[in-house]
Amino acid sequence: MPETDQKIIADLKDAGKRDLAFHVLVKTYQERLYWHIRKMAMNHDDADDILQNTFMKVWRSIDSFREESSLYTWLYRIATNESITFLNSKKKKNLMSLNEDNEYLMDNLMSDPYFDGDEIQIKLQKAILRLPEKQRIVFNLRYYEEMKYEEMAKVLETSVGALKASFHHAAKKVEKYIRNTD
Amino acid sequence: MDELKNIAPELSKLEKVNPFRTPDQYFDDFSARLQMRIEAEKQTVVPQKNRFIQFLKPALGLAASFALIFLLVYVPLKTFMPGQENTVAEVTETEDLNLMNVIEHLDESSFISLLNGSDYNTDFTEEDLTLYVSANFNDYEIFENLDN
Repeated sequence: MPETDQKIIADLKDAGKRDLAFHVLVKTYQERLYWHIRKMAMNHDDADDILQNTFMKVWRSIDSFREESSLYTWLYRIATNESITFLNSKKKKNLMSLNEDNEYLMDNLMSDPYFDGDEIQIKLQKAILRLPEKQRIVFNLRYYEEMKYEEMAKVLETSVGALKASFHHAAKKVEKYIRNTD
Repeated sequence: MDELKNIAPELSKLEKVNPFRTPDQYFDDFSARLQMRIEAEKQTVVPQKNRFIQFLKPALGLAASFALIFLLVYVPLKTFMPGQENTVAEVTETEDLNLMNVIEHLDESSFISLLNGSDYNTDFTEEDLTLYVSANFNDYEIFENLDN
């Protein structure tokens, strides 16, 4: 675990330094977590809500953080779970089945004023949104964030082998969509 | 990324760009907005209760339990059996009034006779009278009373 993370954790557990340490934690990780969340939610407003929920959960759960995993892994895990929970609740509110999430997310993307993708980028995003949820998460973490499988295994609590297989299937599907769609 | 070239050659040729962006100053402001939310949550946390009340809480709970049990027993009893107690009181009061009424209308001799009650008996025979006189008076006393 990086030395800065160890200091943040130590200060977070000290009531007198907690507020300042939390501020440092937010400043350190907000961008990385935002982009991870944004690729799942597609829309800036949803990503902003999820990022706030993530840090609120971190704030409430600091005492329960066991230093078995790194701070970075723990934060990614919370952000991933918060994203899934948020999107599922949105789909329920809109009376959509869990299989219709790609349509909901595509609408989210196309209505977002903070998306600047060209035609090929829209095509790529459409291909990614057609993937099942778990494959989509694995693909985004590996393709965009270039996260190592070992770290991903800790975040998603899955084996490295299963993650490699997921990425392989996901990449094949995306490739096929790009090749066969005009 | 050799892994991707092998699996998806077409995809690996695409320029990897981030097509998303954020509002201006988003990351500069985020921390302050989050801090406001945390402060709001801190204020909604229920304040710790008064220690005195905390100390008395078990005793108050016990007292409340007794009061509840009393109410649960007393109220139904009072509701479903209200006549018994009043009847006894009314009967006692009526008897007292009747007795006072009778006593007020008696003359003195009747009142004394009433007080003597069962001891006062006028049904005695001549033989009883002879026995009573001979037992309590001597001949001289009898003779003297006869002369009067």
